[in-house]
Amino acid sequence: MKTLWQGLIASVCATVAALGPAHAGTMFLGGYPSQLMVIDEAKGSVTQEVDLKTGLPMSMRLSDDGKLLYATTITTSGIEVMDVASRKIVNSFSLNTPAVRYRFTGGVADRSGRYFYILGTRIDKGVDAYRISKQQFMVVDLQEKKVVRAIDLDPEDQKFGSRGALMLSPDGKTLYAFRDKIIVVNTADLKTVDHFDLSKPDFPGMQDVSFGGGVGRLQTPGQFVSLFETEDPYIHNRIFGIARLDLDTRQFSFTPIGPSPKALSGLEVSPDGKNGYTVAVNGDLGSQRCEFWRFDLDKNKALDKAEFQCRRRFYFGISGNGQKLYIYGAGFDVAVYDAKTLKPQGAWELTHDITMSGMVITR
Amino acid sequence: MKHLRPINRKAERIDQAASMTEEDVVALQQQPDKPKPHVPMGCSLAFFPGWEVDAGGGTAGLCQPVERDIYDCYVTCFWPVQVADHVNYSPDWASNCAIATKDWRKLDLVFP
Repeated sequence: MKTLWQGLIASVCATVAALGPAHAGTMFLGGYPSQLMVIDEAKGSVTQEVDLKTGLPMSMRLSDDGKLLYATTITTSGIEVMDVASRKIVNSFSLNTPAVRYRFTGGVADRSGRYFYILGTRIDKGVDAYRISKQQFMVVDLQEKKVVRAIDLDPEDQKFGSRGALMLSPDGKTLYAFRDKIIVVNTADLKTVDHFDLSKPDFPGMQDVSFGGGVGRLQTPGQFVSLFETEDPYIHNRIFGIARLDLDTRQFSFTPIGPSPKALSGLEVSPDGKNGYTVAVNGDLGSQRCEFWRFDLDKNKALDKAEFQCRRRFYFGISGNGQKLYIYGAGFDVAVYDAKTLKPQGAWELTHDITMSGMVITR
Repeated sequence: MKHLRPINRKAERIDQAASMTEEDVVALQQQPDKPKPHVPMGCSLAFFPGWEVDAGGGTAGLCQPVERDIYDCYVTCFWPVQVADHVNYSPDWASNCAIATKDWRKLDLVFP
């Protein structure tokens, strides 16, 4: 009887192991030179590669309903739309022409799937030089496959680089650009109507991947939750905390947690919305130290932290079931950590070097 | 530019184009809050000496091995002298090399 029980237990264990962790998802990562890698989170390996005709992927964004994946590429300033279920590219085009080029690092589609908002610059080839425009908000018509509207950012917003993630309110009336300040834009005329003086944590070399991962899985529709930093105007003491932005009403709440480290990554959120994770970086070069920080998002407080071995440059993500934390890039592998214990679990070797396009996970 | 005047049709077009431009040509070292100059496309204006040392003069700040980092530098012109320029003249430099650390011998050659 003991043998039978042992056999049954072994059989059940083998079945569970074969199925992988509960609710493990599918991960999408950009790969050099022009691929999207499809990775099975349960197996930790690449199961499919999707070629992008317009070149090297620099950003990915899931549609609100999770059915389409929008990728932007830098080689020819392209936009590619993939059907997540079939992994087929359903729309692919380049904005560049022989006389005009565009530079942008990402964007967001409206709910109709017709228009794609980007923040970037336009370069016109002149008789003697290339003329580079000021930074502009642009609207791309995904059916006509061209920029149909563009307007310069306000002069005070031109000083910051053109990088900055974009969010769109559920009603499509308001566009948010997250940079040194949050710029609030009316989509009807692309005019800036407001600013928030909170900067999103980020540091050179760490891409803001929270938009592709955590934000896409936030549980409250129409609300953006992330880590933000703010600074008082007198002694310039920087503190970080958790902020919630209602995308429809533009109401902003900020709960401070503590003094800012040298750098923080974005916030990754577990599927139940209870736990948030970030990476804090202190020191530089040979003395650089990295820590995972875990937060209770109900009480807006820090729970736990653990040091891990830094890479010089890396991006941070969370698994679809919230049980694993990922450190990936620069390079071809993904380091996996347990989200509960914050201890390393191993590494996955992929088939391509990972681009700066961030990580998207579907379940 | 007042002491120069166009003497052929191409120079005339350049003069007209320049007169329509709001910005002046200014030195890159000027203060960042001054009006930004128009700069030509490409990586030649960036100068980061050395691929072998980090910003502190050592090697602790480099990716290990350095090939891990070569592609992101290729895309962003971070090491314009040492690494090819993806967006302007070498879009196919890495076409045959999926993983630089393993396959760097397959990187294309770039000739001036």
